[in-house]
Amino acid sequence: MSLLNVARVTKSFSGFKAVDDLSLSIKSGEVRGLIGSNGAGKSTLLHLIYGQLAPDHGTIEYRNIDVTKSSAGDRARLGIGLVYQVANVFDDLSVEQNLRLGAMPKDLGASPASEESAIEKTLTMIELEHAAKTSVGQLSHGQRQWLEMGMVLLTKPSLLLLDEPTSGMTRSESVRTARLLRDLREAGAIESMLVVEHNIEFIELVSDEVTVMHRGSVLAQGTIEQIKKDDQVRAAYLGRLH
Amino acid sequence: MPRRRQVELVLLGIVVFLPVLVRDLALLDRLGGYFLLAIFAMSVDLIWGYGGMFTFGHAAFFGGGGYVVAILTTRAGWLLPLPLVVAVAAAIMGSCLLAWTLSHLVLSGKLALRGVEFAVVTLAVAVMAERIATAGGSVTGGQNGILTDARLGIPGVISLHRGTGFYVLAAVVAIISYLLLRRYVQSRRGLVLKGVRSNEHRVSLLGYEVARIKREAFVISAGVAALAGSIYYIQFGIIAPRSVGVAASTLVLLWVVLGGRGTLIGPAIGAIVLPHLTNSLSSGSLLNTWLVIVGVILVLLIILLPSGIFGFLAGDE
Repeated sequence: MSLLNVARVTKSFSGFKAVDDLSLSIKSGEVRGLIGSNGAGKSTLLHLIYGQLAPDHGTIEYRNIDVTKSSAGDRARLGIGLVYQVANVFDDLSVEQNLRLGAMPKDLGASPASEESAIEKTLTMIELEHAAKTSVGQLSHGQRQWLEMGMVLLTKPSLLLLDEPTSGMTRSESVRTARLLRDLREAGAIESMLVVEHNIEFIELVSDEVTVMHRGSVLAQGTIEQIKKDDQVRAAYLGRLH
Repeated sequence: MPRRRQVELVLLGIVVFLPVLVRDLALLDRLGGYFLLAIFAMSVDLIWGYGGMFTFGHAAFFGGGGYVVAILTTRAGWLLPLPLVVAVAAAIMGSCLLAWTLSHLVLSGKLALRGVEFAVVTLAVAVMAERIATAGGSVTGGQNGILTDARLGIPGVISLHRGTGFYVLAAVVAIISYLLLRRYVQSRRGLVLKGVRSNEHRVSLLGYEVARIKREAFVISAGVAALAGSIYYIQFGIIAPRSVGVAASTLVLLWVVLGGRGTLIGPAIGAIVLPHLTNSLSSGSLLNTWLVIVGVILVLLIILLPSGIFGFLAGDE
């Protein structure tokens, strides 16, 4: 069953088509990698799905609901979460307060009894249990990224969008991030993910399938092995990485 | 024990024992007045210090509360004058209603105002409030304002209008206001409000209704300011157009900055220290120079204590 359906979406900026008549489906339970060279339109597509940009044409359906005109807040309430390339967290609050903002019911009604244990579990998972009371401003880049992931995960999204999550991370931090995402998936914490990333090693570690974007359109789609063997992809993207 | 709690207990001790030590009734009157100004400062801190909504017009609610009580208790006519308690309740409700209407106009929807735009609107509110008070003829008393003869207390039972009685009334109202506001900022709603100050966009993307939480804080803040203003001006005995204008709205910002924004208790300290300094220096041999001295002290304090007096006391410096 398709969780997300992007149908013939186009988005232009001053006449330049960043996303051009693109269609994409993500199934429930799937982790999809989205790769492509700089300017291929990956981040634009992510922000169209999240509702921070509105498409010029086309439709976006989430759980068979047309969300094309819904705000980002509405989409968040429906179960779409976004982790930014540069961690978008609350710098002058503590780690624990950031996570609580993710965990609390968004209508500010009574919290479920499981809220405290969910926060503690997330603190352990993102390896920040020792820094619960620390101000976020004092965290490293990698820790801030993990904190944002934890915060967004506590909103219990069905579809998690990640915009270059390993950007600026060391190799060991990237591997830890991949391990974290795999653990979360195995624990059933996330239903589906769409991961935009330049780091092919990371994509290999976390994705079931990969979509390659080129000049705003889908160039190829398949498993990472199929993608690596695709001549068009090698010419347009992978070849440049080697 | 956390430093904040220690400072709270020391201040509570001072507030409780001061009337035992001070026998000067005029000084007790002044201190009672400062406590009410402290409530006003805390109300501004709620929306600015915690919610990031910079306001240039909050005296419209503080002084507005005073005006409503003065009109309802001194003017004659249909149902008027009203008992003081009813007038104070009406002032609080009127302020909340005005804030609710204003917040729906400027804090909601796709055109919701933030930052400087919001500050400019609140500035316009203060200017309008002062104009209305000046042009209000026999209702507001025009340029001269309204002299009130209402008395705080229960007639024939207890007077809370002067000296120790007023001091105790103001202190109790200030302590209760502080505790309620502190409870609010430490609650889930308060956490979302702090989130709005820190990163409004992220709060919205987490799925919270940002406009609702900002409106709520704005209305609470207006109600608290009106409560303090209505008691303050009844005791002061006169209310004039300046009380709702830009000057009064700007002064409270200084108290908040001086005391320590986003701490509640800091602005309360600022609202006691600065007016007391002003009162002490503005008489006697310093009649012509006190304003310069206050200005210099203010600049030095803000430079030396960027986290405010409370930040210094709590060890943030």
